[in-house]
Amino acid sequence: MPILDTKDVTKQFGGLVAVNQVSMTVNKNEIVGIIGPNGAGKTSFINALTGIYKPSGGQIFFQGKDITGFPAYKIAKQGIARTFQNLRVFSNISVLENVLIGAHCRIDNPFHHIFLRPLRSKKIERQAYAKVIALLKNVGLEEKKESLAKNLSYGEQRTLEICRALASDPELLILDEPCAGMNSAEMDTLADFVKKLRDEGQTIVVIEHNMCFIMAVSDRIIVMTEGAKFREGTPAEIRNDLEVQKVYLGEQEVE
Amino acid sequence: MMMGSGKRKWLLLGGLTICLLLVPMLVTDIYILSILNMMIIYSILCLGLNLILGFTGLLSLGHAAFYGIGAYTTAILMTRYNFGFGSAFFASAVLALLVGIIIAIPTRKVRGDYFCLITLAFGEIFRLVATAWIEFTRGAMGIVRIPMPKIFGIPIATETDFYYLGLGILIFTYLTIKAITDTRYGRAFIAIREDELAADTMGINTAIYKIMAFSIGCLFAGMAGSFLAVYQTVVTPSNFRLEESCLMIIMVIVGGMGRNLLAPLAGVVVMTVATEVFRSVADYRMLIIGLIMILVLLLRPQGIFGSSSFKS
Repeated sequence: MPILDTKDVTKQFGGLVAVNQVSMTVNKNEIVGIIGPNGAGKTSFINALTGIYKPSGGQIFFQGKDITGFPAYKIAKQGIARTFQNLRVFSNISVLENVLIGAHCRIDNPFHHIFLRPLRSKKIERQAYAKVIALLKNVGLEEKKESLAKNLSYGEQRTLEICRALASDPELLILDEPCAGMNSAEMDTLADFVKKLRDEGQTIVVIEHNMCFIMAVSDRIIVMTEGAKFREGTPAEIRNDLEVQKVYLGEQEVE
Repeated sequence: MMMGSGKRKWLLLGGLTICLLLVPMLVTDIYILSILNMMIIYSILCLGLNLILGFTGLLSLGHAAFYGIGAYTTAILMTRYNFGFGSAFFASAVLALLVGIIIAIPTRKVRGDYFCLITLAFGEIFRLVATAWIEFTRGAMGIVRIPMPKIFGIPIATETDFYYLGLGILIFTYLTIKAITDTRYGRAFIAIREDELAADTMGINTAIYKIMAFSIGCLFAGMAGSFLAVYQTVVTPSNFRLEESCLMIIMVIVGGMGRNLLAPLAGVVVMTVATEVFRSVADYRMLIIGLIMILVLLLRPQGIFGSSSFKS
């Protein structure tokens, strides 16, 4: 059974159809890439998936459960975590607190326990702290745990954002243009990291403009244009598809 | 931070508490004690406001109204319904909390500036009701002769007694807010301040958390108000004007918003001392206070003890 299954997901803004009946599936332990020219509706589609927009039509099933129209915080709790195209780390607080906030919905500490069972509450917080430290170690940000997020380099902030998303133990991780603004060396590191996550059992959806990156990491690629799904296939199939090349590069004059 | 140098910090806090407990033995001047008591009241208010403004990033211009709700509740219950201080205090806190929730529910989705206007309007409505509803609040004459409070049969009569009572409430406020903000709840408030959309996608139900932060802040304002009522023995609407709300905001900003819970208290001390010192030049007092604020904001935008500046 696919972990994520969308059926004819549509999002309209007034007369504009930003996402037009997109159906796709994501299987466990797979990296699915979504590509498409600017304005193809990739981010709108992801926003509809993660509850930032309410879909105008269609259905979204996650692990067999209908999550269509759930608010964003509930979807996060179901196990979908995401990053943003334009970095959204919490700039004025420490790296550590950023990631702790990412773990928010997995810290089982009801409000009344703070006062009625303070020891248990403290223990739960300590466990979360230990988990987050381990995660930071894993991505190489442990030494900077006390730095303010805004003082990190751009690449580190990108890593931090992924780390924050991972802190919620997601079943599905969605990366929205993780390479934006990265140089090629940083991109290679990121590609390795994403593949390593997959090898550890993580399921990932990546939206990306950068062809090299997407071809390198994806198991399967979905091409979107004008809000609709246009093609789906393995990286090799997509690379050799003349129609896809047309969409990206414009039509070639014959003769 | 939450872990690490914890022991030293508690030692420091313990020392500070002992010093504060010893103050009335060294200071016998009634005038100075009365200033200290006002500082305590503002400290309670600012600790609560910091939760709303410093943590959650909601600029509430109506904090004085919740202070007023607490004061009037205690005043009315004690003068007309023979309530003891304990139960009146409790009722004041609960009522401020409830009204806080009622105000926070419809405003949970409004953005910054509109939230600010709604709380401003609420503050004014409260003050106008307190002034105009003469049968209930006795209008501008205020409610007078609020009886002397008793705690477990011990009468609270002198400035020193009130100092200890206030200090007790202040320490309780600090410990409660500290306990809350050291957990995922405090972090959720900060996440909302930093980026509400991102907070939402982290699984934080931002609406509930905003209501929570706002109403808890109001709860402590209600406690401060209740204390003010028995301390002054008089409450009038002029105690709860917009200027009071602004003064509290200034105190929090000058002292420093956010994680360092004690930072706003520095603002309380500076602003209270400034108000007293420049009392003789009454006409220029606000001018001088404004200057102090501008200076602090220019030299230390994060506040005297603030850890990081916001929105740089």
